[in-house]
Amino acid sequence: MSGRRVVITGMGTVNPLGHDVESTWEAILAGRGGFDRIRNFDAATFPSTFAAEVKDFRLEDHVPDAERHRHAGRHCRFALGAAVQAWKQSGLGEWTGLDRTRAGIYLGSGEGSLDFDNFTNTIVDSWRDGKVDTAHWAELAFQRMGLYREVKQESNMVVAHLAAEFGVRGPAFNVLTACAASTQAIGEATLQVRRGDADVMLTGGAHSMIHPYGVTGFNRLTALSVRNDEIATASRPFDLTRDGFVLGEGASILVIENRQHAEARGAKVLAEIIGYGSSADAFRITDQDPAGEGAAMSMRSALSDAGLGSEQIDYVSAHGTATKQNDQVETRAMKSVFGDRAAKVPVSSVKSMLGHLIAAAGATELITCILAMRDHVLPPTINYKHPDPDCDLDYIPNARREACPRTCMSNSFGFGGQNNTLIIVAGEDL
Amino acid sequence: MDERPVAITGLGAVTAAGIGVEALWQALLARRRCTRVIDAFDASKFPCRLGAQIDDFSARKFVPRTYRKAVKVMARDIEIAVAAADLAFRDAGLVTRGIDPEGPEIASERLGCNIGAGLICTDLDELGVALTTAVDEEGIFSLRRWGQSGMANLTPLWLLKYLPNMLACHVTIIHGAMGPSNTITCGDASAHLATGEAARLVARGGADAVIAGGAESKLNPMGLMRQALLRRVCSGWTGEPGQACRPFDARHCGTAVAEGSGLLVLESLDRARRRGARVYAELAGFGSACDPGGIDVETANVGSLDLAVRKALDDAGVEPGEVDLIVTHGTAVPDEDVCEATAWRAALGEASASVPAAAVTGSIGSMFAGAGGVELAVAAMALHTQTIPPTVNHEAPADGCGLSFLAEPTAAELNVAVSAAFSVGGQCGACVLRRVTP
Repeated sequence: MSGRRVVITGMGTVNPLGHDVESTWEAILAGRGGFDRIRNFDAATFPSTFAAEVKDFRLEDHVPDAERHRHAGRHCRFALGAAVQAWKQSGLGEWTGLDRTRAGIYLGSGEGSLDFDNFTNTIVDSWRDGKVDTAHWAELAFQRMGLYREVKQESNMVVAHLAAEFGVRGPAFNVLTACAASTQAIGEATLQVRRGDADVMLTGGAHSMIHPYGVTGFNRLTALSVRNDEIATASRPFDLTRDGFVLGEGASILVIENRQHAEARGAKVLAEIIGYGSSADAFRITDQDPAGEGAAMSMRSALSDAGLGSEQIDYVSAHGTATKQNDQVETRAMKSVFGDRAAKVPVSSVKSMLGHLIAAAGATELITCILAMRDHVLPPTINYKHPDPDCDLDYIPNARREACPRTCMSNSFGFGGQNNTLIIVAGEDL
Repeated sequence: MDERPVAITGLGAVTAAGIGVEALWQALLARRRCTRVIDAFDASKFPCRLGAQIDDFSARKFVPRTYRKAVKVMARDIEIAVAAADLAFRDAGLVTRGIDPEGPEIASERLGCNIGAGLICTDLDELGVALTTAVDEEGIFSLRRWGQSGMANLTPLWLLKYLPNMLACHVTIIHGAMGPSNTITCGDASAHLATGEAARLVARGGADAVIAGGAESKLNPMGLMRQALLRRVCSGWTGEPGQACRPFDARHCGTAVAEGSGLLVLESLDRARRRGARVYAELAGFGSACDPGGIDVETANVGSLDLAVRKALDDAGVEPGEVDLIVTHGTAVPDEDVCEATAWRAALGEASASVPAAAVTGSIGSMFAGAGGVELAVAAMALHTQTIPPTVNHEAPADGCGLSFLAEPTAAELNVAVSAAFSVGGQCGACVLRRVTP
């Protein structure tokens, strides 16, 4: 690590367990899952009929001028809700000294959903002789499809809405590295601040794939749990009977800041980001490297960035999707990094309760690390009943655990072999 | 902070002008115009049926034999990225696993990747084959039938064709790039942002070489439809198709939708020198900015392009008066052109009116997330060959668009080139390239 020190001064989240940080944390510590039958669309005949949806979210409850964001997509609304919470906690809203050309945004936001009915029907209605008649399709598409319904699918529009809400003009990026995106965004945002390209960054991620094509895509990949009769316990990270992840949606946003900048304005520091690692498996688009080399490389590179040995990590927030492959490879990678100590490092997957928020997963999980350090308690992996001989670490099964973690690692791995790792330390230790 | 100078040592481009950066450069110098009536699909009922498409292209040639099966899960955006990466590594003389599985000369973990990508457009026919199995007796699509049986007709890996990080993933798999790996999705600004970030990665020592840039194809029904809804296409043009896309010209009337990829091999200058590599230019500065007005997509917005350019110049330690060439984004969308020219004036001051400028869109159209990679490759070629490329279809500047485009290729002493782009949505990236003398 070199350059300026980077601290977290605000956090916000909208997810299947709650529309703010504290209610989310309460649910996690209580071991409560957020799964239910899909309400976003009629999934009754889909291989997976359930998901972890954000329920009853209204943007106007969070943002003073919701009308301004009327064209925001579903995940973008979640992001605005989360960002307003983070901004408020950081105190930047009331502070007049902010140089907005030095305040930026680095998100890991997903794409918005296709305009399902119109998009699907234009294809079906223009089908001739085994293919789409694009001339006829065009006529139908221009009657049925609309500008804003298309624009809200662009992943960079979430960055645009945040820029509008907070009036920032600094560095602005969106990274979309599948399930690793928001962990990567936070790492890359940290580098912006370290280098001095920005004083403040809004960072994190937002995603919703709980729509017909999203569920179709994951069902075809056989990545989702199909325990339609055991919805509440469907997400079983590291358990022998795990059968895939439960698709979630939501957003989590952090305000991160140059430490001196934060101290100069008297901001409360929640945590410091001290390590970031990124790697690619360079193996296959469909599978992770079974040896976990890429994942291990990401963890090692974060440790080296932080200047820490693996023995200094008190808790690991796992990617822990509950797919057969991920949990096994992740366990293997952890053993490679932590060596003999691997079985003694507490590691849990809050996806057992939140589901998999895809691009938004990593940021949400990092928030649970901050809270674990604040409240001296580790979140559990629920639904853990049947030990898997290939997954033999301390997964904090089923119930929270009192502990005093000071340094936490959070891992995210994405389709295509994207690996990202963050390491943070507790704010009160600074 | 201690940073290493970053060299551009390899260029790969796949555009309507042809395969390879040499084909692109020669086409620009020859003032070739590649926009024509689209024949990749029947575009007759679109408001605009002109575009710049890549012909005679097969990704298979650029993929090692052992990986050819994977080509069938590559969307067009991925195919042209994979090809440009192969071209760029070969151009750089950098031996990766993809070039020679027996003897890669760079360690996997020291090779990074950052490729800008767009919202990959769905292949309507591929999806349609499955969707049409889920219609009821009246021919109406039924979601119940889709869930029950229809979706089973969709190829299992369907989703993986459309994840934007798959451009980078296929490239990292082919070339064995296990280093830091990123995918930036910020519309037209993606490739400048990706390349700038990649340069930072090399500068701080996080990788020894990075493949960076962008690729996208909107030369398909969804892509053309979306750009038409945004009213960014040259639908009013009635003249010669080749003259439709007219950056900053008095008769500019919208852009020509195109496809293209531009990837650069960035490497620490020291490493490049040690291995005796050709250095096209130094990537000397990078700046990024955004505009709070970006949510209003119906009004032209060039992000905070002036701010991004100023940051990039500062980063490079270059004064506005030292800039020898501007490679503009030049969409030829009338109000975007005016905003962009205004931003260049704001960034460079008086100098902007006299500094030679170039735009590639008149020749090869708008390549969206791929545009920046191609624009940066052109800037690198200009510095390397000490030649300013001409800008076609720019005859008389539109009001408020007074930049100095040249009609013919012109030899000049070029030390510093700046290139920048902006997205619908208001993100902006700028890169400064500096001539490197051996």
